[in-house]
Amino acid sequence: MTAGRARGSGGRFPASLATPVLLAFAVFIVAPCIMLLVKGLEPTAETGEWPDFTNVLGVFDSKVGQQALNRTIRISLIVTVICLLAGYPVALFIARCGPRWRGLLLAVVIFPFLISAVVRAFGWTVLLGDSGLANKGLIALGLIDRPITLVQNEIGIIVGETHLLMPYMILSLLAVLQRIDPNLKHAAESLGASPVSVFWRIVIPLTLPGLLTGTLLVFSLAMTAFATPFLLGGGRTPILTTLLYDYAFTLFDWRLAASIGIVLLILGILFVTVHRFVSSRGMRSYG
Amino acid sequence: MADFFLRSGRGLVTVMALFWLVFLVAPIVVTLASSFTSSTYLTFPPPGWSVRWYLSAFESEWVWSTFWNSVVIAVVSTTIAVALGIAAARVLARHRFYGRGAFEYAVLSPLIIPGVVVGFALLNVSVLIETQDAGLLNLIIGHTMVTTPFTLRSVWSSMAGSDISLEEAAQSLGATRWSAFWLIVFPLIVPGIVAGAIIAFTFSFNDVTISAFLSAREARTLPVELMSHIEYLPDPTPAAVSSLMIVITLAFFLLVERTVGLGVFADR
Repeated sequence: MTAGRARGSGGRFPASLATPVLLAFAVFIVAPCIMLLVKGLEPTAETGEWPDFTNVLGVFDSKVGQQALNRTIRISLIVTVICLLAGYPVALFIARCGPRWRGLLLAVVIFPFLISAVVRAFGWTVLLGDSGLANKGLIALGLIDRPITLVQNEIGIIVGETHLLMPYMILSLLAVLQRIDPNLKHAAESLGASPVSVFWRIVIPLTLPGLLTGTLLVFSLAMTAFATPFLLGGGRTPILTTLLYDYAFTLFDWRLAASIGIVLLILGILFVTVHRFVSSRGMRSYG
Repeated sequence: MADFFLRSGRGLVTVMALFWLVFLVAPIVVTLASSFTSSTYLTFPPPGWSVRWYLSAFESEWVWSTFWNSVVIAVVSTTIAVALGIAAARVLARHRFYGRGAFEYAVLSPLIIPGVVVGFALLNVSVLIETQDAGLLNLIIGHTMVTTPFTLRSVWSSMAGSDISLEEAAQSLGATRWSAFWLIVFPLIVPGIVAGAIIAFTFSFNDVTISAFLSAREARTLPVELMSHIEYLPDPTPAAVSSLMIVITLAFFLLVERTVGLGVFADR
């Protein structure tokens, strides 16, 4: 994103325009987050002093918290790998299509991510249920004898999050694929390179920035997704975000919920920092 | 040999791509199809066709009341988000000042902070100042904050294409700053505003995460209410409601596609 030329106001703070915006964000984003920090770091014992990190660290000491963290990381890694392996051929295919088909296929990729997470989770519940199409298909293929449980467990979360996040991977890859000069491939081919080596030595390296952006984006969004795992995971497979919700609304332990919130907040900031670093490096080396 | 590799490689890519494209539309198609089922339970493919679950949805009180809640929240929060987005875009596109980077970071921060954190943090504040029962207000505030980055980006990129010298020319010919903005800048950024508003509206109308934390008893949004009905109601009425939400979203999607193009989504 590029900004227009800035002239005229020569370094003065544009108070009349910026103040209402800043005020809104200070009151409704910054202040609530600071409150969350204060709450999460409240001392557990009566005598404790304020910055008490036992709760934040305690999130991962308890069995439930430890399991939720492990599950969050495991699911996010699996989803990222699937999105990568699935998104790459889709992006290659779309980039190869003529303009007419490309428009339609782009619509197919973009439309699902505008649809409400509830609606999509609903569709997956029907598809993955005991008498759903997925089980029928697996039985017809002879892979299983009787229906297996595909929702209200980790499989459901993985399928739902893959569906949720694959568009991000495809769009990140398309952005770089469309910038590859086709003459590069022609030149390599005319010099005797096989299609396989063109792919590994030209296409893959040139799409590396998009691959990195897509991977980071998918992984970070998988770590912090809420609605999809909430609806497809059932009650017995909490991840960090759904555990926060449980602590807040089932156990009413808001201090613990705030502690998980702090962890998620740190993760969010961490991913953006890494992303900025990687994308600025990527731009420089692959221009 | 190379030719064989090329063709089988391309065939493999096509097959895999088609599989995953089907995967992407599958839950949407299945929801639409199963909403027309004639049976009292959900199954795909349906044993027969009927529109009874749509009639049931239209007769349900919860559908209408939460639908209007969602519309009010989406309209009000989109309007405020557009106003904030225009102001913020103007600041970022036209001004250089100390702390500009911090300003940008602040306005885009809802994209960085996980939705559960925004929702829970706002809930904490509303409990502290004892407004947790003002569900509609809390939801409007939450939705406004998380959709402003979308309107900002969209308006900002359309401002970057407009020429500042036009505005300066108008001002040197005697236009006030306001009339120069309304007559010169505003018409140029209308596409950006429209696109941003549609994205914000769609996001707000479909949101679950923020709304799950801020919905009070008497002020629930359609997706949040739908969520509890999916869990507890065994009949296919939720399928009909889901399908109606898909159709509404599709209408907005086509509106963006026809007016400003799908580039606004790819530009993330």
